[in-house]
Amino acid sequence: MRSPDPAVVRRAPFHPLLAKELWEVASGRALWTMLLILCPLVGYSFFQAAALYGEASSAARDSPVLASGLAPLDGVLVPTFGALYVAVTLLFPFVAIRTLGREKETGALRLLVQLPYRVPTLIAAKMTAVFGAWLAAVIPAASALAIWLMLGGHLYLPETLDLLLGHLLYGLLVGAIALFSASISESSATAAIVALAFTIGSWVLDFALAGQPGVLEWVSRLSLTQTLRGFEQGLLSAGLVLGIVAAICGFAALAAVWLHPGVPLRAKLVRSAICVAVAAAVIAAATQIGLSVDLTEDRHNSFPAADQRALADLREPLIITVHLAPEDPRYVDLRRNILVKLERVMPRVTIRLATMGQSVVGSTSEEAYGEIEYSYAGRSDKSRSTSHREILPLIYALAGRPVPTPIPGEEYPGYPLLANASPALAWFLGGLPLLIVVAWWLSRRPPQIAPQLIKDGGQP
Amino acid sequence: MTVSSAILLDRNADRAPALMEVAGLAKRYGEQRALADISFAVNAGEVLGLIGPNGAGKTTLMEAVAGVLAADDGRVLWRGTPLALPQRREFMFYLPDGLRPWEDQYAARVIEFFATIYGRPEIFVADTIRSLGLAPVLRKRIAALSKGYGRRLMLALALLTPHPLLLMDEPFDGFDLRQTREIMNVLRDVASNGRALVLAIHQLNDAARVCDRFVLLAEGRVRGVGTLAQLRAQAGKPTAGLEEVFLALT
Repeated sequence: MRSPDPAVVRRAPFHPLLAKELWEVASGRALWTMLLILCPLVGYSFFQAAALYGEASSAARDSPVLASGLAPLDGVLVPTFGALYVAVTLLFPFVAIRTLGREKETGALRLLVQLPYRVPTLIAAKMTAVFGAWLAAVIPAASALAIWLMLGGHLYLPETLDLLLGHLLYGLLVGAIALFSASISESSATAAIVALAFTIGSWVLDFALAGQPGVLEWVSRLSLTQTLRGFEQGLLSAGLVLGIVAAICGFAALAAVWLHPGVPLRAKLVRSAICVAVAAAVIAAATQIGLSVDLTEDRHNSFPAADQRALADLREPLIITVHLAPEDPRYVDLRRNILVKLERVMPRVTIRLATMGQSVVGSTSEEAYGEIEYSYAGRSDKSRSTSHREILPLIYALAGRPVPTPIPGEEYPGYPLLANASPALAWFLGGLPLLIVVAWWLSRRPPQIAPQLIKDGGQP
Repeated sequence: MTVSSAILLDRNADRAPALMEVAGLAKRYGEQRALADISFAVNAGEVLGLIGPNGAGKTTLMEAVAGVLAADDGRVLWRGTPLALPQRREFMFYLPDGLRPWEDQYAARVIEFFATIYGRPEIFVADTIRSLGLAPVLRKRIAALSKGYGRRLMLALALLTPHPLLLMDEPFDGFDLRQTREIMNVLRDVASNGRALVLAIHQLNDAARVCDRFVLLAEGRVRGVGTLAQLRAQAGKPTAGLEEVFLALT
């Protein structure tokens, strides 16, 4: 088929489209309402976290051992950003839906799809606006970090940035889901119901299925809240990041597929199936990537540094057979304290759950239940411990290696802080909301109009 | 062969390809037939009226031609070459009826948005604003505009586009007599500069005043295509007005 005459309009600059999307987000009440709600939410979370951290610090004042357990990431950052997580889960979908929902309701979508932009470009602009809205939403939490520093608190940059990255990815994922919901719904109200079904449904998955064996355990991993867990522990996992990015791109692509009202339903269904298949394949591949980095200052996702080095040198396969039910608390302890750390540091670790898919009672013989068998280089040994102080020497013995001597000075000192965060409440309940109201008022001012545009009084 | 197909073929027999042609367009909503075998052509610089009562299929036809609604069958050709759905927006612009987009934005901001996208110079934007009398409402939000000014703003957006073909659904709806005549003059002026206009109009008096040719639609079918003189001849009423011709042919 030959082409028609050269097209009149093919491309247009991206910046006016982006400016329009940002104005659309800023002119809606959803963004400002969310920001105003975030102020007391984040403020109170921060105040409570700082108060509890202070109480723990007073107990640790004369005890270096207790002090070493005081990490700002767990004590202050995660609880403070927890308020952001709640707001992003419950309120952010409304902000993101606005970028498309109103255009569908008013019919503006029929103008939008005729503009000289490809549909993916339209969605990219909307996703950028969603990112802008997330940046605004993070202001209260970021101000809490600034206050923490002013109070004399300590922040370790890598773990702080890791936590921020996790919340950014979670925010974009919720935004992409909301955009997809708006794309398939005729009204914003329906889109909100669809988006909240994803976000609140994740909580249901968490509560109902967490700790369940077999398929239920796998289903519970689809919960959106799982995306944040690794980042809150100070881990940066390549597989997790890739998986979340694939999910974000997948939902954005689905939003693009369903955006154009002129595309026949059959074509939309076929393209959707392709999008889902590609995203699922990438996510499945991402689960096979074991590369992750412990970014915490106290290295609480890793063994001591001397052990890390010694274990990294063990090149033979280590096979661990666990005679525990997955829902047994001892297995949870073992997994957190030993198995995930071994998987991260050793090149070849295989973990076999001898009781896979069975319940605790009657799952295995009474004598063997609770045993963990370690096999390395043709030798094996058993233990019931979930502490690395017992397990690592056992592994070194199997490998015929000496127990490494601890590296002096590597101990995490801890950062106890007795601070009064009460004045911060004035900022979160007064100053910051006032600034947000001023910003809202400024955003509503009419634009300046060039005099040339209204020459002759603008009369026909 | 249907009447409309015959008209299209007859026109193509002795002329160069029209600016845009619609051939055999059809659309169903479930069991209900909205459009059936619609064919007509538009030439550069002419004002073509899609005439029909409410429910005749005018809006469905415009949306299907513009590509914002999926048609079940038929083709749209640009100077004789089929135009795929994603290409339509490069050649034509469709202004829907009763649209009030981006309600929270100021009129000036939406005009600036379109002008920047299409690289329109300031003088062109100023002329468009002047010709439609929009200056008094530039600093108003779109939600606060009266129905008439809302219509003018939408017309301004359409006129800011550079496409050689504009499809407008009920462009005079919401205007009083004087305003309708003003807008007609603006549209005639646009057509005289070489742009083709396809206007869906249900008021036959308005259509008779502004259109060069007509496509008569009833129950999703084309009942006649041509100038008023050609339609009179087709209806066998050499002195009738558009109203009588329409009633005779539908």
